[in-house]
Amino acid sequence: SGTRTLRLGHGLDVSHSVHIAMVKMGEDLERISDGKMKLEIYPSQQLGTERQCLELLQIGSLDMTKVSVGVLENFAPRMKVLGLPFLFRDRQHSFNVLDGPIGQGLLNGGEKYWLKGLGYYDAGSRSFYTKDKPVHTPEDLVGQKIRVMESVTAMDMVSGLGGSPTPISWGELYTALQQGVVDGAENNPPSFYLSRHYEVCKFYTLDEHTVLPDVLLAGTHLWEKLSNEEQGWLQQAVKTSVAYQRTLWLEAENEALEAVKKAGVEIIRPDKTLFADKIEDSFDKYKEDEEFYELITRIQETK
Amino acid sequence: MQLRQTIDKLLANFLVIIMAIMVLNVLWQVASRFILGSPSSFTDELARYLMIWVGILGAAYVSGKNLHVAIDVLPSRLSEKTQKRLKLIVRILVILFCLGAMVIGGSRLVYITHVLDQNSPALQVPLSVVYVVIPISGLLIIYYQISDILKR
Amino acid sequence: MEYAPILVLVISFICLLAIGTPVAWSIAISSTLTLLVSIPIIPAFTTVSQRIGTGLDSFALLAIPLFILSGELMNKGGIAHRLIAFAKTLVGALPGGLALINIISAMLMGAIAGSAMAAASAMGSILGPEMEKEGYSREFGAAVNITAATTGLVIPPSNVLIVYSLASGGASIAALFLAGYIPGILTGLFLMIVASFWAKKKGYKVGKRSSLKEIFKTMIDALPSLFMLVVVIGGIVSGIFTATEASAIAVLYSLILGFIYREISFPKLPQILLDSAATTAIVMLLIGASMSMSWALSYENIPQEISSGLLALSDNPIVILLIINLLLLFVGIFMDMTPAVLIFTPIFLPVVTKLGLDPVHFGIIMVLNLCIGLCTPPVGSVLFVGVGIAKTTIEKVVKPLLPLFIAMIIALFLVTYFPSLSLWLPRQFGL
Ligand code: NA
Ligand code: NA
Repeated sequence: SGTRTLRLGHGLDVSHSVHIAMVKMGEDLERISDGKMKLEIYPSQQLGTERQCLELLQIGSLDMTKVSVGVLENFAPRMKVLGLPFLFRDRQHSFNVLDGPIGQGLLNGGEKYWLKGLGYYDAGSRSFYTKDKPVHTPEDLVGQKIRVMESVTAMDMVSGLGGSPTPISWGELYTALQQGVVDGAENNPPSFYLSRHYEVCKFYTLDEHTVLPDVLLAGTHLWEKLSNEEQGWLQQAVKTSVAYQRTLWLEAENEALEAVKKAGVEIIRPDKTLFADKIEDSFDKYKEDEEFYELITRIQETK
Repeated sequence: MQLRQTIDKLLANFLVIIMAIMVLNVLWQVASRFILGSPSSFTDELARYLMIWVGILGAAYVSGKNLHVAIDVLPSRLSEKTQKRLKLIVRILVILFCLGAMVIGGSRLVYITHVLDQNSPALQVPLSVVYVVIPISGLLIIYYQISDILKR
Repeated sequence: MEYAPILVLVISFICLLAIGTPVAWSIAISSTLTLLVSIPIIPAFTTVSQRIGTGLDSFALLAIPLFILSGELMNKGGIAHRLIAFAKTLVGALPGGLALINIISAMLMGAIAGSAMAAASAMGSILGPEMEKEGYSREFGAAVNITAATTGLVIPPSNVLIVYSLASGGASIAALFLAGYIPGILTGLFLMIVASFWAKKKGYKVGKRSSLKEIFKTMIDALPSLFMLVVVIGGIVSGIFTATEASAIAVLYSLILGFIYREISFPKLPQILLDSAATTAIVMLLIGASMSMSWALSYENIPQEISSGLLALSDNPIVILLIINLLLLFVGIFMDMTPAVLIFTPIFLPVVTKLGLDPVHFGIIMVLNLCIGLCTPPVGSVLFVGVGIAKTTIEKVVKPLLPLFIAMIIALFLVTYFPSLSLWLPRQFGL
């Protein structure tokens, strides 16, 4: 048969490391499949928000998408585990978990929701940025309205640390910060930089509370249509794309921090244990769900 | 046309109620931010879902009153007989669209969100409850169109 | 490039409109047909359904039903009357005084209500008969009323600017609102100059001059109505509340004022709510349908093709802006404002931002341009309202409309080529 074109929609800008790595994925896919498979990428929310793209995968009119775990957990609840605060000890620990059996298990678990996970792009770790009041300790968050994603774990995390979580869509956040509807938000350095929120928020507290990776997914509508050979080609292209993106991410993170510093943002490196201790017992409430709690323990035990 | 009047009345009352709740809800959001100091996290979502209902169910009401704006420059220059025929064609096209996209497509959307157990992020209501307004409105519009065709 | 999707889209859309299919259904049906070119039937139907549903899922859009409701309350609650009385004392004694009153009141009314149709129906029904009594031709009165009503769409608050913010992917609503003041007032001034000349030429009567005392008295009377502007715009700009919350405050405020003036009572409320819900639904179905059309456009990469085509024509910003303006004027002849903004923002915005234009500035250009379209036959919602209320016909109104169109086009080109007319005010507020 002729060429199979896969349509991939996502919400990031074309200068973002994930988009650049996707372009590479498309080139690789075309090369290793000998031109039998192609990738067409729709960036910048052209085909909808992350949430809407997931629905389109389930509907079957879009083949692939990339979403944050924070959005995915509304569709595949097990994914919630990756959004728990201070779960990972460091970057390497998170890669070991994601690339190991736990991460693969979570990706495959999406199939129940007609979403086949393909891989994890690095999205660093998220930290607080505030407009007027610098945050050195969790006490500084008290009374501050912090924008969070529409995600239960994120809301629990912010209220656990003492802030008031306010869900607002990412697109409306710049204005909301400017107008004082919220006092701050939380995200990784490149997003803080690319969204220009640093123009409004002059304090960036690197408490690195959550590691919320980006997940690349295909609809099972597509996945089940692919031959074994085609699935193999796609997975191979995803693998090199993910590895490439992780190197790009480190550069982007450093560049972003440098740039916001230059723009007059004060970078605060707080004692992270103060934050971690404050919500230490927040994992206890998951004890009722044995399977989920076991997942937490297995992640903590991963080397 | 007893049935049509009953449906009109029900639809109108329902729209008035949703509209009123929507206003009160947004006012409560402002109040909760100023008086209680903390924003209420569910009002935003509720307001958006109510608006989807007003918009889509209202589209059925408007359709029943034949209020959707059209351009009738060309039709108005044609003979009365041709005009009637064109109107019939338009009504059939609208029926086909509502049947395909709103009733079948909308039901499929409700089905997917239902079997995959999708809930809204803040209120945790099933999304199928929000989307079910689409096939309902589609059916109402089809009813109004058929009833208008039969009236001639 | 694949030609099938764009051909299906354009041809089916034009045919549907031509046979008199309501605009929203025409948009929805032609988008569905376009998707069917490359997507199987059930997913295509489901996608259209999802676009219509989730297209309305936006907190920013919520301001629209609420501003529509507050406009309705103001019409029925005696607020419009008081604004007119105040405007009358200000300019009643100038040549074409009543026409000027119409324009100023429409600007004030449109400014507060955010809807041109509300302004046109309020002014048309209140001032129209009075103008005729003073010897103005019915058609001239209608033409003035129609064009002036659209200035309220640029002067904030404005529903269509909210729609633009959504379509542009989040241009600041507060900045757009501030940016609209000067272009809106400028257009109003140009309309007043033309109307004044026309009235003088026709020898229409001049009203009596008002004393300072009368001006003061009517101003005090209109003060609570004018204060609403302060609350709404002040609240948004100073960050006390969002545009959506401001719209809810506007509803509450006009409701209380209506009760105080004893022109609104509880039994009247359900009908007011129902009328607003119906107007909202007309707009929302258009928005939902346009969401499926812009999805279909993106899916088939049509905006990229058009914008690369446009950029290939010239790399001179002045030329490109001229082409875009002419295209939009052409679009406005056939299409109403909301769907046009929703469909063409994603197509033109990438082109103009590449040329270095500010998205806020482009939003004002686009809305000001499409305001003209609202008054041109064959499709123009404000034209329909204005003509309907004046009980005249479109053919008869065209002649007095022409000079007013020229005034609007001059204002449009000034606003297009002098960005500071739009951007100066928001910059003053640091937006
Ligand atoms: Na306005
Ligand atoms: Na027009």
